[in-house]
Amino acid sequence: MKFSTKVSPNIRDREHKTTEIMGELSVGLLFIFAFSMVFYYQEYGFEYVLHGAGLMAISIITALATETLYAAFMKKDIKYHIKNSFPLVTAIILTLTVQINTSYFAIAVATFFAIFFGKLVFGGFGHNIFNPAGVGRMIIFSTLTGSTAADVMTSATPITSMADAGWIIKDSAVIEKFLEQFGGLWNLFIGWYPGAIGETSTLLILIVCAYLGYRKVLDWKVPVVYIGSVFIFTTIIALTNGVGMWYPMFHILSGGLAFGAAFMATDPVTNPTTISGRIIFAIGLGALTVLIRLKSNLPGGVIYALLIMNMVSPLLDKLTDDWSIYAVKKHTMAIGSALVMGIVITFFAGNGLEAKAVVFPTEEGEAEDIPVTLGDPVKIFSDSTADLPEILEKTEEGSIVTYKLSVPGYAFVEHDGAPNMVLVKLNKETKTVESVLVTEATDTPSLGSNVAAKTFVEQFKGISFDDTEAAVDAVSGATVSSKAIAKAVRVAILDLNK
Amino acid sequence: MSILIGPMKLHLNGHKELTNHSEVKNITAGKLVYIPLMACTDILVKSGDYVKAGNIVAKRNDYFVVPIFSSVSGIIKGIEEKEHSTGRMIEHLVIENDGEYKFEMPFQPLDAEKASREELVSFMMNAGIVGCGGAGFPSYVKYRDAKNVHTLLINAVECEPYITADYRIIDNQLDDLIYGVRAMLKMSGAPVALIAIKKTKKDLIDKVNKALAGEDKIKVKEVPDQYPMGWERTLIYEIFKKRYEKLPGEVGVLVNNATTAIAFAEALKTGKPIIEKICTFSGDGLQNPANVKVPVGVSVREIVEQLGGYKGEDVVVVGGGPMMGKAQTNDEVVITSSSNAITLLHPEPFDTIACLRCGRCNDHCPAGLLPVRIKNAEEAGDIKLLAKLRADQCIECGLCTYVCPSKIEVSEAVRRGKALLRASAQK
Repeated sequence: MKFSTKVSPNIRDREHKTTEIMGELSVGLLFIFAFSMVFYYQEYGFEYVLHGAGLMAISIITALATETLYAAFMKKDIKYHIKNSFPLVTAIILTLTVQINTSYFAIAVATFFAIFFGKLVFGGFGHNIFNPAGVGRMIIFSTLTGSTAADVMTSATPITSMADAGWIIKDSAVIEKFLEQFGGLWNLFIGWYPGAIGETSTLLILIVCAYLGYRKVLDWKVPVVYIGSVFIFTTIIALTNGVGMWYPMFHILSGGLAFGAAFMATDPVTNPTTISGRIIFAIGLGALTVLIRLKSNLPGGVIYALLIMNMVSPLLDKLTDDWSIYAVKKHTMAIGSALVMGIVITFFAGNGLEAKAVVFPTEEGEAEDIPVTLGDPVKIFSDSTADLPEILEKTEEGSIVTYKLSVPGYAFVEHDGAPNMVLVKLNKETKTVESVLVTEATDTPSLGSNVAAKTFVEQFKGISFDDTEAAVDAVSGATVSSKAIAKAVRVAILDLNK
Repeated sequence: MSILIGPMKLHLNGHKELTNHSEVKNITAGKLVYIPLMACTDILVKSGDYVKAGNIVAKRNDYFVVPIFSSVSGIIKGIEEKEHSTGRMIEHLVIENDGEYKFEMPFQPLDAEKASREELVSFMMNAGIVGCGGAGFPSYVKYRDAKNVHTLLINAVECEPYITADYRIIDNQLDDLIYGVRAMLKMSGAPVALIAIKKTKKDLIDKVNKALAGEDKIKVKEVPDQYPMGWERTLIYEIFKKRYEKLPGEVGVLVNNATTAIAFAEALKTGKPIIEKICTFSGDGLQNPANVKVPVGVSVREIVEQLGGYKGEDVVVVGGGPMMGKAQTNDEVVITSSSNAITLLHPEPFDTIACLRCGRCNDHCPAGLLPVRIKNAEEAGDIKLLAKLRADQCIECGLCTYVCPSKIEVSEAVRRGKALLRASAQK
């Protein structure tokens, strides 16, 4: 008979193991990755999914390779080291924070920095000061933003557009148009827009976060306080600048705030160990995020705020080193002070924000809603060869071919004015016109320029390449301009059929 | 409980089904019986003396008066140093059991209804009634010093996993429980007594409620099934939402274990001190887990033999419940007057990895301490910080180690920190 002894207690919680916590976190994150890949497949095509998966694979491979080399060099058991160092979590989080057009080179370098300089040099998992994925993301922000994949295009993210707009928009018409680019606040919440791979869908992030919080994988108080304090701070800014509640909502729904709050700020290794400490940590994150966004004009407010607060974690631990049941008052005071400080700092940061002119991207824009009346029909496949539009650019994305044309209209023909600029999108699979957009209408204002109207250009939608009799109704009083646009469509179709 | 502190307790899998409904098995003492003698005891017998069960063989001679009784009849063989269930080596009085179990009342029974408060307190002292919750604190001290007590709290929570001894005893001796509680009520001067039982023990609550019909001073108080609900501070906070510095008396509460009340009632009625114990023998390292009735001084080895032996080749013998009980180096340890359980477990190896700093230990510490911070301070040898973190307040309940996802021995580190602090205070 053998009697084993060890120190008490003699039983352990079998349901909570660090390895399982990390495993569940990884699975949750992969759900978000899958959502993003579905989005890119639907909206951009399969090569985007390939690139996204490639980024994830490269990041994971680099992370594993870095850990393996480190373990081999330090003469540690490689398998044991990797099992207890959790490189996968870092690689997945890092991949989710980057844009889809990031190059393989950039993600590899960033992953190496994340794992090696973010974690291993501090002594490995559990000893790192900074969130490793945050370190990797910071490397991309500061040194590798130019390293993008050539064949993958992205448009401006909501947060960079907001940075360009000077962090405030006061004109309500502009606000509406600005939000409409991204499908409105509701779409920002759902996340069906391009952005960092895993950061767009606030809804999905909240669902995964709530589940992981319920499973005690992460502390729900951190994201709640972080997002809540950003809400409070930006609401005050909105009130002082006289803008509506869309403003705090925009701050919360964009720029990876929800992702950072749910999966990076909750990294237990780099946040304080006490509840009070974690709450102050989250308030600090909220204040710094708003401050960095507004004053440094950096879209990456979340990452930099996180790295700065990571440095403060040990101090917060020290601050809350007490017999907690008799320190509730002190800790409540500390939390209250942190909140007041955050309000004061962000108030001054947000006070007197100057709205800049918002430049809307033309490629992604929509036709203007001008009231017009339509008149006589204009045939598309006419045989007129006078003043033919000129193809300036031709780009392909999946089955959509976009032509940018310079279209000589009334102004050009009659008095040597500037030509109109027209975007014609054709679908080469279905052999129909996808859309027509007049990006620059140079003809007589309120007359010839009316060809930019939605009512007019929408007529082109769905016209078949083979329908030789196809026609649209011209805008009353702008027959020359209308014919010119129809000509542009014909030129584009003929070019594609070549 | 504030949201800033955390739950300070946790539901554990109790494994109570292993033993709670089976019959109590009688265990007979073997050839030799070892009566543990705590420090500062005057031994009143010498080698070769004949003693009967119930005879006083020793007496504590320090601040408290606690007589120690022989649990069998036979010849005193001498004194031997042995491992005690606390893990310390202490002296044990060896008695050669003659197998006749001749009993002699060490004191006369007392009618609790007629006796005065002072008579009851001195009876309790002379009967050697000690707290049966595990710590073995002499109960009479609490009543002697009782002042302004508004509630007598009878602790029948039994929060340690595996242990069902209290449950069985209460179930078997409900009349004794009520008799004992009535006597204690008189001694404490409190107007009401509450019997705290876990919500999950529905059948027991029903039985006690039935027995208490017509009793307006004694009530059942249901408490959540969480660990360590049986700890005085956690229990009092749960029921009265009050915290205290040192003793529950500060908030007008007097706490005693239900088994103590029953032992007291037995002494009052029959003149029999605590020379037999009902103990839970449970765990996955045992063939037939059961509650046993065993004379004080019988070794675990003899009891396990009579129960049908161990399961497996490698076993951890825990003196008490699995959370707070200490693992023994062998199975020669004996049942004491304050034992309530021996847990026999299969050793389960754990892979300890780096601290995740998740703070689960901080959120769950029932004493409101920050175990991970104490651990760090202990590793750094920072006495000042250990004092600030109140390492001295640790009760070694083991919850911090239990909840640790990285399987770190947090409790042990806090224990070391506590020892370091104590050592520096003595300098």
